[in-house]
Amino acid sequence: MTRLPLYAAASAAFILSGAAVQAQEYPVDTVTLITHSSPGGGSDVFLRELSRYLAPYLGANVIVENVSGGSGASAMARLAQAPADGSIFYATTPTFIYTSLLSDPEYKYTDLEPLVNFFIDPEVIYTAADSEFETLEDVIQYARDGRGQWGAANPASLERQALEQLKAAADVNAAVVTHEGGGDLMINVLNGTLQIGVGEVQEIQSQLEAGELRLLATFSEERLDAFPDLPTVAESGYDVVVRKFRGLAGPKGLPEDVITAWEAATQAVLEDEEYKAAYEAGNLRAEFIPHDEYNAFIEQFGTETSTFLKETGVIE
Amino acid sequence: MLTRDFVGGVATIVIGAVYLYFAYQLRVSALDDSMGPGGLPRIYGWLLVGLGSILVIQALVARSLAAPAGAEPVKGEWDGQGRKIAYAAGLLVIAMGYIFIVETVGYLVSVGLLIVTTALYLGAGFSGRLLAIGIGGAVFLYAMFVSLLGVRMPAGMLAPLGL
Amino acid sequence: METIALTASYLFDWHILLAALAGVTWGIMGGALPGISPSITMALLLPFTYTMDPTGAIVLLASTYIGAEYGGSVPAILIRTPGTNAAAATVIDGYEMNKQGKAGLALGISLISGFYGSMFGLAMLMALSGPLALVALNFTPMAYFALGILGLSVIATLSGENLIKGFIAAILGLMIATIGSDPVTGGTRFTFGSSELLGGIEPVMIMVGLFAMSELLIQASKRGADERVTSRPRIQFPDWKLTKRLFPAQMIGNGIGTFEGVMPGAGGTIASFMAYNEARRWSKHPEEFGKGSPEGIAAPETANNTVAETALVPLLSFGIPGSNSTAILLGGFLIHGIVPGPMLFERSGEVVYGLYAGLFAAIIGMVIMGFLMLPVCIWLVNRPRPYLNAFILALILSGIYSIHNETFDLGIMLAAGVLGFFMRMLRFPFLPTVLGLVLGYLVESNFRRSLVLSGDDFMIFIDDRISLSLLLLAFLFIAGSIGKHVYDAFFRKPKTVSES
Repeated sequence: MTRLPLYAAASAAFILSGAAVQAQEYPVDTVTLITHSSPGGGSDVFLRELSRYLAPYLGANVIVENVSGGSGASAMARLAQAPADGSIFYATTPTFIYTSLLSDPEYKYTDLEPLVNFFIDPEVIYTAADSEFETLEDVIQYARDGRGQWGAANPASLERQALEQLKAAADVNAAVVTHEGGGDLMINVLNGTLQIGVGEVQEIQSQLEAGELRLLATFSEERLDAFPDLPTVAESGYDVVVRKFRGLAGPKGLPEDVITAWEAATQAVLEDEEYKAAYEAGNLRAEFIPHDEYNAFIEQFGTETSTFLKETGVIE
Repeated sequence: MLTRDFVGGVATIVIGAVYLYFAYQLRVSALDDSMGPGGLPRIYGWLLVGLGSILVIQALVARSLAAPAGAEPVKGEWDGQGRKIAYAAGLLVIAMGYIFIVETVGYLVSVGLLIVTTALYLGAGFSGRLLAIGIGGAVFLYAMFVSLLGVRMPAGMLAPLGL
Repeated sequence: METIALTASYLFDWHILLAALAGVTWGIMGGALPGISPSITMALLLPFTYTMDPTGAIVLLASTYIGAEYGGSVPAILIRTPGTNAAAATVIDGYEMNKQGKAGLALGISLISGFYGSMFGLAMLMALSGPLALVALNFTPMAYFALGILGLSVIATLSGENLIKGFIAAILGLMIATIGSDPVTGGTRFTFGSSELLGGIEPVMIMVGLFAMSELLIQASKRGADERVTSRPRIQFPDWKLTKRLFPAQMIGNGIGTFEGVMPGAGGTIASFMAYNEARRWSKHPEEFGKGSPEGIAAPETANNTVAETALVPLLSFGIPGSNSTAILLGGFLIHGIVPGPMLFERSGEVVYGLYAGLFAAIIGMVIMGFLMLPVCIWLVNRPRPYLNAFILALILSGIYSIHNETFDLGIMLAAGVLGFFMRMLRFPFLPTVLGLVLGYLVESNFRRSLVLSGDDFMIFIDDRISLSLLLLAFLFIAGSIGKHVYDAFFRKPKTVSES
């Protein structure tokens, strides 16, 4: 809910990067990355971390600004009206597509131009360690026998869609309960109110290590490197795959040199040893997608989501 | 004769009715729970209409009880209220004026003008002290919010000066 | 014991002491500015913590948090403007005391209560983190709903003469809370296509409007009449007799604050209103409440400062932030690669003990800074009315703007001011509106969530033991208040309308 210019972040990032060699001449001095996450939130921390390492590779000052009104609606409005000179970008997650489709704001994701993708976060299904459920099949069976209670972090989100699709694929009747964020959800899984929750590995990392939570399956296409024994949902017989992307989008009509600069800088920063250690520790999976492919990716994602929302009657 | 409670009750009913009108237009979807987005708002709306009606009835009953007993009628309840509202409205206009000019004129100048105008309106005489407080107050607020806290107040026409 | 020894060993680290003092000073300042919430005050420091050592960074942020939660009471007492949401309850009696020329004592009480509250909260955090975390863990959506209803039961006390008007005011607050996106489906409600309203209305805009703006309008309407008593610019701590009188109120604040603090999402605002209500219920002088009762300041201030400490329990134990402020603190941990949660004590114990030591130092620092800074504030509000009010208007218009950098929000604040003006003119209490506004979302989202869980079976609220006991408690409170009103209406001398 706050919108703050954190100039100091910029100067800190710039000082840190002072020693590094500037890769090329970027058209503007300062790049503003906007997030709809509030300061300290998941996307915000991710972006601040990224901005520290990105500045030297891009050859520009990188600052982070929080524009958190309306789950991304304010951020999209701001971007769509900004100059397309490479000075301002929006850090996107599937939220911006959901907000566009659900809230029908004045400016939507289609009014922005996807730039590049950085990461695909794995979404996993977890349960309390002391629960009776050992596999995803146990959970589905429980729901088949009576009434399952599953949890998603936010009302209209990728996690909710994933669970609704799983429900449909398994043909069971489960209540999908939405929460106010991952922490709220985790408490209700831990105290047994819910059988399962869906979230990113990084959100539940601490509880996993302490042995309080158990993973049941992952919604990713392939098994995760960190958890080679964890089956995918598709392997378990339900064809649901979820790709939670983290990338950037800018105003329409981005110049060619800006796009090239970002494609180069993104690949370089993802290879940066120090940054790699930091993001791998946080269970983020690097997946660089270049500009052209990313446009198609976002378009496809948008179409799939819109189809889902129409089929369930959420939107017309 | 209109008592405060009567006016308050009628205003409550009107607010409740307008709110209900919009509450009944909320969309439903398959992802909804059984209450839906409109469930509680409708309850709130009807409660407001109901409570407003009770207040109106209370006011009417109280008046009819008071009148035959020969008690002092509620005359004088509204004496001078019109002038009071007008004085308050004046301050509101000044505040709205500030909102209107701040984006074009810029924060530093607008907030100084706001302090001076408001103080004059509230009865401070025009003096050197008033100007000093206007300028000092504006500089102080600018230092707090813009320099120290980094809030991006509108720069307006002062933008070329970096203020 | 081991905890205390380890914590004490960090008390002489000048690094931590400096961070604590800087944080608490910055926090008091940010908290005292209306519109600048504790979370914004903390977020502004976040970038500086990148280059600090982890313990120093966490101490800086946490000290800012407790400083800001205390700082909110200063404008609440002096200019009828709650600096933070949680200071709303302090306005009631704090501003009354100020009007009676007792600003120095009011500020002294809030400072000493803030000190007690924080120290008690810190002791709870250090000693009972484990059991308290267990309480938080067992709070289901049903229990949260019941907690919200318990909070709403305070309306009856805040309503004053006419219970009907109190309920109307509360529903107005609940209605304002429905603006924005729906908690279950994520669809929009009552936004009329405005993107500014998508995220809902920040309670502080309405509070500043209802409290401060309406007061400015009322004073403008009275033209020139300046009936206040000026206070001496000196902080006055309560004497022994008053200390004894305040003690029960502070204990109530401690208890409620500890309980509410550990619930993620419950927060200091509810705690301070409930503490105010209970202090009044158990007070030997309940008739003084609302007319400048010292207990009316002590209870909410103790409660919200206790919350500021115990709110760290769910953060440290589960890694779950219960509010915007603790979310930023979580960010501060994550930036330094520390993940709060069950493994925190094993992996980064030194940070936790450093944090305890830092908080201890910050609480001491809070009293010192308060003692130094407050006389200047009293002197400032003793200036002639026209100048003071002009400055307050400029201050709140600046503060509210800085929340989202939108002039739209200034319009909302002014509208709330006009609403407050007419509510006061028609003798409606507006504290219930504030309560409804703060609790509306909590009550609605958890009510509907529970029904989704149970498949629309209302028995779920009775089957859940915590929910059942809280609901019974709320029922007792409400029934008691209504009973008293009915009794007064029928068996006491009726009051004439013109007096109401």
